Amino acid sequence: MNIVDIQELSFSFSRNDEPIIDRFSLSIKKGEVVGILGPSGSGKSTLLRLIAGLEMPSSGSITIAGRRVVDDRMFIQPEDRGVGMVFQDYALFPHMTVKDNIMFGLSGLPRDKRKSDLEEMLELVQMQDYKKRYPHELSGGQQQRVALARALAPRPNVLLMDEPFSNLDTDLKDEIRHDLREILQKADMTSILVTHDQKDVAAICTKQMMVPVTSRSM
Amino acid sequence: MELDKARRYFQKECNGWWLISMVGAGVILLPILYVFLSLFQSPNENWIHIRQYLLQTYTVNTIILVTVTGLLTAFIGVLLAWLIASYDFPFKRFFRFTLIFPLAIPPYIAAYTYRNMLSYTGVVQSTLRNQLDIHINSELLTLTSVSGSIFIFTFFLYPYVYLITLAFLEKQSAAYIENARMLGQKPVPIFFKIILPLSRPAIIGGVVLVVYEVLSDYGVTSYFGVHTFTTAIFQTWFGMYDVDSAMRLASWLMIMIVGLVFIERLLRKRRRYHLPRQSRSIVPVRLKGGKAVAASLVCGTIVSIGFFIPVIQLLAWAGMTFHTIWDSQFFELLYQTVYIAVIATAIILVFSTIIANVTRSPSTFSYILSKIVTAGYSIPGAIIAIGVLALFILLDGWLAPVYEWMELGEAPLILSLSLVMLVVGYVIRYMAMGYNAMEVGFEKVGNRYTESSRMLGHGKTTTFFKVELPLLKGALLSGFLLTFIEIFKELPLALLLRPFNFETLATKTYQYANDERIYEAAIPSLIIIAVSVLSVIVVQLLDRRVKE
Ligand SMILES: Nc1ncnc2c1ncn2[C@@H]1O[C@H](COP(=O)(O)OP(=O)(O)OP(=O)(O)O)[C@@H](O)[C@H]1O
Ligand SMILES: [Mg+2]
Repeated sequence: MNIVDIQELSFSFSRNDEPIIDRFSLSIKKGEVVGILGPSGSGKSTLLRLIAGLEMPSSGSITIAGRRVVDDRMFIQPEDRGVGMVFQDYALFPHMTVKDNIMFGLSGLPRDKRKSDLEEMLELVQMQDYKKRYPHELSGGQQQRVALARALAPRPNVLLMDEPFSNLDTDLKDEIRHDLREILQKADMTSILVTHDQKDVAAICTKQMMVPVTSRSM
Repeated sequence: MELDKARRYFQKECNGWWLISMVGAGVILLPILYVFLSLFQSPNENWIHIRQYLLQTYTVNTIILVTVTGLLTAFIGVLLAWLIASYDFPFKRFFRFTLIFPLAIPPYIAAYTYRNMLSYTGVVQSTLRNQLDIHINSELLTLTSVSGSIFIFTFFLYPYVYLITLAFLEKQSAAYIENARMLGQKPVPIFFKIILPLSRPAIIGGVVLVVYEVLSDYGVTSYFGVHTFTTAIFQTWFGMYDVDSAMRLASWLMIMIVGLVFIERLLRKRRRYHLPRQSRSIVPVRLKGGKAVAASLVCGTIVSIGFFIPVIQLLAWAGMTFHTIWDSQFFELLYQTVYIAVIATAIILVFSTIIANVTRSPSTFSYILSKIVTAGYSIPGAIIAIGVLALFILLDGWLAPVYEWMELGEAPLILSLSLVMLVVGYVIRYMAMGYNAMEVGFEKVGNRYTESSRMLGHGKTTTFFKVELPLLKGALLSGFLLTFIEIFKELPLALLLRPFNFETLATKTYQYANDERIYEAAIPSLIIIAVSVLSVIVVQLLDRRVKE
């Protein structure tokens, strides 16, 4: 079954503009990690925001885990889509500790479950010793791990990552690429990774595509 | 198809936040529209009389006040800004800051202070007479009507021009002034050939604020007995209880304001300079000898007239009346003022926060909404007051059957005699202050935390309380302070909309002054001034923090 199914998706910022995304289609199967490559300004971030529900397409449809989340007649709010996202600058809540950041997406669950999920996530990203820290007390790589753990904790159907390595040093990148691949594999997470860097895709992804697309679907 | 899309949009955007914003916008818009509506009703006899005999006087007086004050404040404001921006002289840092202080003295307080200082029995004339044995025509010094008003407005409103021009000169003009200096130009030609034309947009911006204050003034002009549109609105209501004519006057005043905005746009558009993008701060030239003394003297004189002299005089009067004024009744008055200001400010901040949150995502809708919300601030208090008053009287009429059913009597005035009316007036007038503070706050927080939170499964409301609110604390605090202080010292709305027997510090001060009980007015005046100085300082500090 396809976890993500995008059909004929189009988007422009205002009515008269050229569409930034023009009749884009994409299907992703369970456990796949799709790398999206493309030059700056080609609409990669916009595509992720459309899937997340942070923007509304002008036409086309998106289905996630068998449920239609947006088409011409309906729109499901981002919080109800079961989509996780790691932002380029991580956007960790500055007034919350690592622990509270990760637990933030677990609010519906019973207490014990939340505790055990937290520990599980901390272990997954190897940050057990840092749960009392605030984001500004972490290095870039550590922040990135926390952002990843926070996005994974609610067990989304699909994880979106927008240039997750762009804020990191080159040395750190190789190491983290490897870790990320393991983490995603362990969690059996269906993901979309947006990047400039062919190396990211080679190291992490099971599949890749270029935007703007030349042949319309894959 | 389009209908489906509209429904989809609605599904995305429509929620409690949106609905509350609409209510807020409605409350603000209704009285203003109601005032305009009066233009289309058939005029009553009163109005015909007003139009025939009085309208011309109001117009002429208003135009004279506005033009002369505008020119004088422009001159003083630019002169001071130029001195401070491009020269160094003794006490400059002190003057740079204190030259703003005259804004902290509400002009009506300045008016009665100066009028009494300069009167036959006042400190100036009696000193001349008794100590120096100089006898002058007392008429010469007495502040009256139009010229008195212009004097007061000029010395207590020039800081608007000064502040805006100073900011502009300090940041933008370095290249031009330094070039001119290098080419050997003398200061005076530099002032006329370069400073004046260059800072035109800033000067216009400042003068528009001055003009706006003059147009909305009630305290000074009524104290000096000048008939303007604003005083006429009050007189028509208090003297004749003629709401319809008052509203008609208000809508004419409103048309003048719209005209003013138009003129401002026009003046600003015609000439736009391409200022160097890489703007650096101007390096002031050190003045020596006589020039330095002259510069200090000019600044010193103006700040003395605009702040220190009236404050010292008020302190002297306060000393004389301290024992009679400073009692439990006075605390009651203080308490009432704080009480109503806190209520109004709290309501304003709740609405502002909600509306600022809704208008964060840019769209035509949020643009219009933000314009409506801030409309009240560019409309004189008297207009808002009369609109609110008329609307509440109408509302009481509609509610008469309900009152009767509740056995409150036949067609009583309940709402229009309650504090609700004044609070609504404040909310309309000062919503812009709260909204601007919250808008800046949301802008600083950005969208990233909000979006993260929503991606983690929290809706708009939970996100607000868990993520945005903690990050907005600073904005809320500064918004609260600024709004509270404005309401605390507000005069025209309070005069018109307060319930019978309800006084604020400002209305009490005004009454003392009007009853020629000048000494008693000193203590409440000083409190108002102290609070305003505080607000000036807060604004400056916030400004500095934003810059850093
Ligand atoms: N709020 C906006 N309003 C109008 N146009 C926008 C807006 N945000 C982005 N754009 C435009 O949309 C296009 C796609 O932007 P997007 O951020 O999706 O590109 P990107 O592929 O992620 O680029 P990068 O690799 O630099 O992050 C760009 O040309 C950009 O200028
Ligand atoms: Mg991008």
